Amino acid sequence: MNGIHDMGGMQDMGPIQYEKGEPVFHASWEARVFAMFAATGAWRKWNLDAFRHTREVLPPDDYLRVSYYEQWLSGLLDLLVRRGLVTAAEIESGVPAPGAARATPPLTADKIPAALLNRIHANRDVQVSPRFQTGQRVRARNINPVGHTRLPRYARGKIGTVDRDHGVFVFPDTNAHYLGEKPQHVYSVRFAARELWGEQAPQKDSVYLDMWDDYLDAA
Amino acid sequence: MAEFGYLSRQGDRMVVVENTPRVHNLIVCTLCSCYPWPVLGLPPVWYKSAPYRSRSVIDPRGVLREFGLELSTDVEVRVWDSTAELRYLVLPERPAGTAQLREEQLAALVTRDSMVGVAKVSPPQPGSFS
Repeated sequence: MNGIHDMGGMQDMGPIQYEKGEPVFHASWEARVFAMFAATGAWRKWNLDAFRHTREVLPPDDYLRVSYYEQWLSGLLDLLVRRGLVTAAEIESGVPAPGAARATPPLTADKIPAALLNRIHANRDVQVSPRFQTGQRVRARNINPVGHTRLPRYARGKIGTVDRDHGVFVFPDTNAHYLGEKPQHVYSVRFAARELWGEQAPQKDSVYLDMWDDYLDAA
Repeated sequence: MAEFGYLSRQGDRMVVVENTPRVHNLIVCTLCSCYPWPVLGLPPVWYKSAPYRSRSVIDPRGVLREFGLELSTDVEVRVWDSTAELRYLVLPERPAGTAQLREEQLAALVTRDSMVGVAKVSPPQPGSFS
């Protein structure tokens, strides 16, 4: 989706605001949202790609205005309802509806360490032939899906070189929409800064992106 | 990294990129906020912010200048945009004058920012290890 989240290459976002001695969380509710992310994710009703997509579909003005953990909370509420763990009415009331089904067994604090270790990994130990070899010239496809993708706009249509093959991973464009994992190879692809940004870019500089087989054609 | 007790709870694949006198690496996630949690913890706000995410790929030298790091034009800049489930970490360049330091003294010099690539590791202050 060509959304505001895909901001690589934009130039009007202002100076970087560096906070010295920054705390991990700026308010206790942020830590709570982070814990909710881990606890609710343990039910495996969604995956990390689906979670990322909830932030991408925020209206652009909201995306830029609200804080990071507000984006997370909004995404979690969306997933909790959409994936059937709670209803919109229960979120509104803050209590379970009378007779609502309970998720069993309950996820208690003592189970959290094991649940964290049990996270769904994105790499897959399956035999899939790579479509490209290290050193090969490739062109990033010019795709503009309305759903989730990890191919940033600034790389589409550009030519790069396969730097290394990282093995087989689930494909976010389908996985985010529960349309299957479509496991395939992921490569680091080196794009010259001049290929991406034109002749004013320094000649030796480059940007490396992780690219799935489905994002690439031979060049 | 496992030798030092940094086990990835997330199971993320880590990729370490080495800074040298000739090459400077910088880590970013332009699409969201991917960051090597198991080693560096949760990312600071600036790493997740629009200014850093947007400009790191198009003007890394300008971004580094904002962090107070001016790179010579003969240094090659490599930006790593974390678009997949691989987590990047910069191995900072060893500062001059540290040949005699022990492992824990060297470790004390390394900062989070230097492992993201927005800073170099500074040499020890005079007398700090006396």
